[in-house]
Amino acid sequence: MAIYIKGMGNISIQDTLGKNFIDAPVSYSEPYIRCIEPNFKDFINPLQLRRMSRIIKRAIASSLTAVEQSGIAVPEAIISGTGLGCIEDTEKFLSAMIENEEKFLQPTYFIQSTHNTISSQIAIYLKCHSYNNTYTHRGVSFEMALWDAYLLLLSGQIKSALVGGYDELTPTYFQQLKKLGFWRDSVQDSLNIVNTPGIGTFSGEGSLSFMFADNAENALARLDGMSLGYKLNNDEDVCRFITQFLEEHHLTPQDIDLFMTGKSGDEVYDGLYDNVSKMLFPQTLQAVYKNLSGEFFTASAFGLWSATSCIKNNEVPECQKINNIPTKPLSKVLLYNQYQNKNHSLILLSSCGC
Amino acid sequence: MEELMLQLKKEIIEVLNLEDVTPEDIADDAPLFGEGLGLDSIDALELIVLMEKNYGIKLENPSQGKEIFKSVRTMAEYIQANRK
Amino acid sequence: MAQNVFVTGLGIITGIGKNVEETLNALKNLHSGVGAISHLKTVHDHLPCSEVPFSDQELKKMLQLNDQEIVTRTSLLGIKAAQEAYNFAQMDNCKKLGLRIGFINGTTVGGMEKSEQFYNDFINPDSNEYTPYIAAHDCGACTEKIADYLDDFDFVSTTSTACSSAVNTLILATNMIRAGLLDCVIAGGTECLSKFHLNGFNTLMILDQHLCRPFDETRAGLNLGEGAAYLVLENEKSLALRKQNPLCQISGWGNSCDAFHQTASSPDGKGAVLSMQAALSMSGLQPEEIDYINAHGTGTSNNDESEGNAVMQVFGSHIPPISSTKSYTGHTTSAAGSVEAVISILAMNYRFLPPNLNFKNKMEQLSFKPVEQLTENVEMNYVLNNSFGFGGNNSSIIFSKYKK
Repeated sequence: MAIYIKGMGNISIQDTLGKNFIDAPVSYSEPYIRCIEPNFKDFINPLQLRRMSRIIKRAIASSLTAVEQSGIAVPEAIISGTGLGCIEDTEKFLSAMIENEEKFLQPTYFIQSTHNTISSQIAIYLKCHSYNNTYTHRGVSFEMALWDAYLLLLSGQIKSALVGGYDELTPTYFQQLKKLGFWRDSVQDSLNIVNTPGIGTFSGEGSLSFMFADNAENALARLDGMSLGYKLNNDEDVCRFITQFLEEHHLTPQDIDLFMTGKSGDEVYDGLYDNVSKMLFPQTLQAVYKNLSGEFFTASAFGLWSATSCIKNNEVPECQKINNIPTKPLSKVLLYNQYQNKNHSLILLSSCGC
Repeated sequence: MEELMLQLKKEIIEVLNLEDVTPEDIADDAPLFGEGLGLDSIDALELIVLMEKNYGIKLENPSQGKEIFKSVRTMAEYIQANRK
Repeated sequence: MAQNVFVTGLGIITGIGKNVEETLNALKNLHSGVGAISHLKTVHDHLPCSEVPFSDQELKKMLQLNDQEIVTRTSLLGIKAAQEAYNFAQMDNCKKLGLRIGFINGTTVGGMEKSEQFYNDFINPDSNEYTPYIAAHDCGACTEKIADYLDDFDFVSTTSTACSSAVNTLILATNMIRAGLLDCVIAGGTECLSKFHLNGFNTLMILDQHLCRPFDETRAGLNLGEGAAYLVLENEKSLALRKQNPLCQISGWGNSCDAFHQTASSPDGKGAVLSMQAALSMSGLQPEEIDYINAHGTGTSNNDESEGNAVMQVFGSHIPPISSTKSYTGHTTSAAGSVEAVISILAMNYRFLPPNLNFKNKMEQLSFKPVEQLTENVEMNYVLNNSFGFGGNNSSIIFSKYKK
């Protein structure tokens, strides 16, 4: 049982909106990077634009791009994942509340502080009255949204779903996460970050929207299945998690043409990716994507975009490859991402030709 | 009065993020809600905050706003009458 | 064939009681938890709220947690209620029996109540006094704290759709059980009071300075509350293996989006109509088969008008007994859906209709009045529970009496 990717929209720290491939990857030399934004007036009318916070403008622009590519004007579900939600407006409200001792607070910032504002604004924009939901679960927030859509599509309850991963990072929140060891003090060449391991990595942001549907017509790729793992304690647990998943799809590691991981250059967590890759996929082409996207709670959505792009173009950009196994025709791609060795996700993609 | 109305227009543009609007675009007697600027209920709440923060006037009930926020002139008149 | 979903456990903590038994007694004794604010430190302490009358320290003691442990109040309330549900359904045997278990939580402000206290430390790069609370702030962190306290769950997730969050956890749990992906799931929501939430609702000018009066012509807003509530849902296999007695079944759900405005509901209640109709249709029920509606009924001018109109459109001249129990518990936001699910199931199983406290004057626009008095010995087969959130996130769920 499978579902199909019909359209994508990606606003990231790379030039990706409206494209299905990265032609000129940008390397950064600092740890805090924000999205390359389009002119939002090309997407949203000014009256609606004026009140929207940055993350909402981005979400609508990437959603409209996915909608357009898919040819599905109104999806039967809108489901978003966001690790931190609308933190810019949350911070505005919170800091004003503290500074002004709970006086003169602006309602707009509160209204836009809730995580579900993103899905609901997209719904208002698309005039979509159907299923609407928001997941916010750390580094697997996007996968949770995708999981919900996958179940609804497979059970035949809906025929299409707009699924997104949306996260912004303010300078203040960057500093807070830095205290927790998320980021490096300095970065020389972000594209090469996984080859220069250190503690932490560099940050990114993203607004990624995907239109999924239950049929293969004009699809970019097919999603054959996914799996979520919680509290897998060691390399063996993760290997078992992966092999079981492959077995459920009647596959072995050798059937995978590309193993794409969420390896980010953070040596605290990269070891798990390395060990699993060595144990299960020694003869498989391996690639990364966080050197392009930076790390954020829904970065795995960039992974899905990138894997789909590789399948569509039957090519893996050189800057993403981390071994020298020759590229075969990409018919099966396995995406593996994990958050703090605790939350794990697998997504199996196929080219629509097979 | 003229000065206060100009001041109000600038403040409205700022607080409601009316990027492409200039004070000259807002007529003193033009309706702020519905027709005219097309403001909505959230804008009304923002204007209530503006009245309290900048002019020390507290409206307890959002329905009071209906009369007061009819136009920039009605706002200015209310402020003149109630400013402490 | 989709699997049946049974409810086998309940857990709840709100301003009207710290467990199911106290909640049932409060409902029957017309005891409201709404009153003066005592725990939350705020300049707006004239606004009535329904607080859980225990400090963090007292909650930690109840849960045998170390006083120094980093736990947000949202998680503490969640642990208390989820533990009750877990014990109620004797879930400790699940893993031994090889059952796949899940924990699905709904929350919106997460650890905000701590973050707003420690924010100046958070943003000071030279201080680390409260840094562990940064990691405890996000919604997912609050969920995992609860899950990891209870058991080794196979699946853990967090929904966040403001005031409909908890019903959406029940929907995901139902879908996963029906698809055969999980055997036994704890689902529900938790939210503690915070200055952030209180001030946020206050800027919208929808907080009543007096006791809230849902569906009353003179209603003037809502009272906030805090709390947590969870349901244990399981499939037939788990039920048989664990020899559990179901309290009721989930027959259907609806989820729709009003797609009208960022905060306001459409006057005609389009989203609410769609979610109620979808729940009825999935359950295979006619509107007249519903025996009780636990309404979202916040007490704001806009919600009650919109929801009331929607109920009239769906139920026509056969409007079942309907009440909002937010005049008991306050509006517990992300927890409201599961708090009211627990109340609805208690009402069905103990055969009483909880009244809509503080109601006096019928709304002119509506054809119906809510339940005015506690009514006992009422046979109910199907109850409908509505939860609507900001941004038009509308969810409805129908519980049906368990029949062997």
